[in-house]
Amino acid sequence: MLFLMFRLGQDRYLLDAGQVEEVLPLLSVKALPAAPAGIVGAINYRGAPVPLIDLSLLALGRAAAPLLSTRIILVRYPVGAGEHALLGLIAERAIETVARDPADFVATGVEAGMPPYLGPVASDDRGLIQRIRAEALLPQAIREILFQKPATHS
Amino acid sequence: MPVTAGMQATEQGPGIQGPGIQGPGINECWRQIGVSGDRSCPELQEHLHCRNCPTYAEIARSLLDRPLPAGYSEEWARHFARGADRPEPEGGARSVVLFRLGEEWLGLPTTTCHEIAEPRRIHSLPHRRTGAVLGIVNVRGELLICMSLPELLGIDTGGGPSDGGKIAVFRRLIVIGADERRVAFEVDEVHGMHSYGVRDQLAVPATIGKSASTVIQAMLSWQGRTVGCLNEALLLAMIDRSIA
Repeated sequence: MLFLMFRLGQDRYLLDAGQVEEVLPLLSVKALPAAPAGIVGAINYRGAPVPLIDLSLLALGRAAAPLLSTRIILVRYPVGAGEHALLGLIAERAIETVARDPADFVATGVEAGMPPYLGPVASDDRGLIQRIRAEALLPQAIREILFQKPATHS
Repeated sequence: MPVTAGMQATEQGPGIQGPGIQGPGINECWRQIGVSGDRSCPELQEHLHCRNCPTYAEIARSLLDRPLPAGYSEEWARHFARGADRPEPEGGARSVVLFRLGEEWLGLPTTTCHEIAEPRRIHSLPHRRTGAVLGIVNVRGELLICMSLPELLGIDTGGGPSDGGKIAVFRRLIVIGADERRVAFEVDEVHGMHSYGVRDQLAVPATIGKSASTVIQAMLSWQGRTVGCLNEALLLAMIDRSIA
């Protein structure tokens, strides 16, 4: 199974590559005034607005460093039955993929009280890498605001 | 998953930069103890050349930890904002493995391809001297039926490449199929993976003859050539029929 690796601070995290639509360079972002916490703005992706989350801001409380290695990961975010919306994640050092067996990942044992998006961990020669559940990145309230359907849509 | 970002930067590996890279934390070990230096690095025993060494790869990646050039975000934002005038239909980007049979370039969805291997001896099957089944091949201990795709699709491979053997041609064995039912076939050359959008597809001309048209679901323009994209379900069904 293929994973996209990125960093939060010094630690390495993985996203399931099957959820990733595309990896974009750091585009200029249209700010959304008074947006819910965690949403830094929106980008224009092929003519459609895509909401953007800064993972560093969400998890560490500081914005991602504006470097070439900081990229926007477009994930397919599940909304409703079998439907997906695109969600952009700003992640640092999103420049590597790794292939790992899903069976390598084990629970950390400290799930209680942790953010719901943190998944099980696997080890390699450089330490531990942790899976991120992209679908759990947004709290329910924000999810409803972001991906609510226009009323005309049947 | 197409990775667009920072391609310009990754293409410039540490080795091909002229006067050396000045930057914090960059240790040009390949110039001192590596292949461009005195070759005293103990890792060379294992990796033979710096380009195989994980340290070298890590240095190359660290080159991306540089500030954004002026206008970078704005330029890419403009690039990805385009397409408003050409809306992407459902489906988004797709990926095919491109290969050549004779003079014909074909594509097969990447998810169907399990493995691309070197060609190996085909053990022929008694009483199956004709038809699309060539025999049995051993791929990492697994015995797979080896098909002749040119025979199956009615493609003439007699001519060989039109550029007259100037470049070396590497035949390859491609293993395809669903989990339990896997088959292999030989091709004259594999280009690699190619990613395209649904709008880059062209319709299959109605005048196409032979049996190939029944498994070609779309045409694709690639490097001035027209590539036929095979439909994996139809191809596997066709293979099943010819095995039976």
